[in-house]
Parts: sequence; structure tokens; C-alpha cells
Amino acid sequence: MHIVDGALANDVVIGGTVLAVGGIALGLKSLTAEKMPAAGVLSATFFVASLIHVPIGPSSVHLIMNGLAGLVLGWAAFPALFVGLLLQAVFFGFGGLTVLGVNTLNIALPAVIVYYLCRRGVASNSLTTAAISGAIGGGLAIALTTAFVAIALALSGDEFIPAAKLVFFAHIPIMIIEALVTGAAVVLARRVKPELFATFNRSTTEEVAL
Amino acid sequence: MRKLCAALVFLAFLPAPQALAHKVIASVYASGDVVEGEIGFSNGDMASDATVEVFDDDGNKLGETVTDETGAFTYKPEKAVPLVFKANLGAGHVAQVRMSAEELPEIGGAEATSPALVAAEAAAGAAEPASSAAAAPGASAGSSGVDLAALLEAQHKMITEAVQKQVIPLRRDIDAYKEKHDMQSILGGIGYIFGIFGVAFYIAARRKMTAA
Repeated sequence: MHIVDGALANDVVIGGTVLAVGGIALGLKSLTAEKMPAAGVLSATFFVASLIHVPIGPSSVHLIMNGLAGLVLGWAAFPALFVGLLLQAVFFGFGGLTVLGVNTLNIALPAVIVYYLCRRGVASNSLTTAAISGAIGGGLAIALTTAFVAIALALSGDEFIPAAKLVFFAHIPIMIIEALVTGAAVVLARRVKPELFATFNRSTTEEVAL
Repeated sequence: MRKLCAALVFLAFLPAPQALAHKVIASVYASGDVVEGEIGFSNGDMASDATVEVFDDDGNKLGETVTDETGAFTYKPEKAVPLVFKANLGAGHVAQVRMSAEELPEIGGAEATSPALVAAEAAAGAAEPASSAAAAPGASAGSSGVDLAALLEAQHKMITEAVQKQVIPLRRDIDAYKEKHDMQSILGGIGYIFGIFGVAFYIAARRKMTAA
């Protein structure tokens, strides 16, 4: 999931960095003081989730949790995930500093897409709908991330279809686990802190009401 | 739900093509007169059948080799220059490791494949027929001189090999240790994240207060 230094062509690195900076700027604009504690917690969640490797069959996987970050934060997922990636690169050498922009884009853009697709469902009155939307969001975020990773590699010269297949199939277990975890997290948040999704989506519901 | 569980169990046993979500680890060390190396992923999977290209510092390609199923490869350097080993494992994983000129194994010497012991035996074997053939007392002084030089060389090789043999597991341990994420850096990272968001929160709150 983390592309390393030197694996991508320079144009891809520069393009990704420019787009990521744009995303972070948009995210910082939407990052209100109310959202900030949640952003910090989700950033820390992402930071730690990537370090815990769960053995599955002959290999092992780690969670990413970008779907949950997107569902709660929307565009603010960009700065939150960027901070997590930056510290992973500095502390553990995951990814690298030059490819930070591309990695941010690959992980945060799916989060934003999931936010737009699933935010209604997650905030819906029925808890079942919310759980299913959360699960779809969690799984979809990983699927989109693998697609973006494959696109970044394809633009750097790898064949797209084999690269995409390889990354996608290797991540199917993570998609399922993330779907379950995100669904459960949404249910939990709806039960103990129902205002989490409601508050943050208030502005959008107000728009709809107007 | 039962179907989902069944699907999960089924997926758990699917052979994942490669450990994709992991860091690549590569290490090289001198062994005899070849360079031995290992390429693998941080979760313990090794990179099998990967092509390793060898470059010098200026990016000129010197040669290439292929890893076996345990991710190990060997390369016999021909020039005493720093070597850069690169392997593209696909899906954004590139292994790169550099070996400086001092670390290089000795170039040349005896046959490439003969370990020190064989070389020592060969030296002893060569000396024996020489001394037995040279039954004439005049030739014996010359043959013992050659004998000594060959023995010294064999001894030197033996010591080098013995030291390398002892050091390689240590190097492996050190390489593995470098990849260990200790609790302190994880907690440190979490601390940094909360600190950064705390400062941001402070700035946002101040802005709000001045606006109000």
C-alpha cells in the first residue's frame, strides 16, 4: 500500500504531490475546531493500524482504516492521513518522503470518495442501513486505494492490468476485514456518540433542508 | 453471517501472491570471494525468483543475478568498486542496497568455488608430491618456500571464512532488529499526532475566540 522511494517515475511523483497538496488545502479548510479531536484520533488510528500485522494464511496483512477516516472527516481526511503517513515514513521507513504526496493521494482520495458515496447511509435513522453503509465504505476505500496504487504504477511503466490484479487480489482479505471493522465502528459510534456523524454532516443536511 | 464467515475462512487459505503491504528488506555481505545477499519483506516472506541487477555508483550495469526460493542470491564481483544491488519486486516494491568497496570480498585468489579447507588441502597435496618427487636434496629448499607461501594464503583464507561464517548470523539479526518497531517509537508517533492536532486545535480555538 505504501509505495517506496524510487518505484515511480518523476512526473507521477510530482503530479501526485501537487494533487495531494490541493487535497490537504481543501481538507484544512473544512477542518473545523469541532472536527479536530476526531481528526487527531483517526490519524493516530491510521498510524497504528498500519503497524499491526495480522497473519492470514501464508502472508500477513495490516489494516489501513482510511474508510472510517473518510466517513467521519470528509475532506479533512487528507490532512489527518497525511500526518499519519509522514510519521510512518519518518519513524519506520514506510513509503518514503519523496513519494509522500502520491501515497497521501492514494489513501486519502478513496476516503473522500467513500465519504460522498456513503455519508447519507451512515447518518440514516436505521442502524442496519448505517452498519451496511459503513461496511461498504470500509471495503470500498481499500478497493479504490488498490486501484490508485495500480494507476500510479501503471503511469510509471508497469503494465496496468497485471499490476492492478496483483494489488487487488492481495488485498481482498483486508477489504473484508476493514468492511467488518468499519461497519462495527459505525454501529458503535451511532450507539455511544450518535452526534459524531450527525454533527459533522449538519452543514450538508442544512443545505438539503434549504 | 455464516456465509460471510465461510468466505473469510476460505480467503484466509488463499495463497496471497506476495506480501504486498510490507516493507522490502535487502541485505548483502561478503562470503568467500562472492557477495551473498537476501531480499525479503518485513513480514518474513522472502522474494523468490526476483532479478537482481548490479550497478556501480555511476549507474552502469555490471551484471545481474536471480534469487532462489529463499530470497538469497550470490554475485561474484569483478572490479573493486562500490556495488549497488537493485531488485524490482513489482507493485511498488523496489529493493536497493549498496555495498562499499571496503566491504567487498577479495577478488581473484584461488578457484571460485573452492572453500579454504579445499585450498589448504590442495596446497598440502601440491607440496607433498613436490617434495617426494624432488628426492634430490638440492631442490627441497625451493619447494618448502613455495609450500610456506601457499600455506599462509590458505590459512588467511580459512580465517576470513571462519570469521565471515560467525558474523553472517549476527548481521542477519541486526538487519532483523532494524525492522523491529518498538513500542517507544509507536507511542512517540501517537504523541506527535496528538501534539500536532493539539496545536492545530489551539490555533483554531484562538481564532474562534478572537472572532467572537
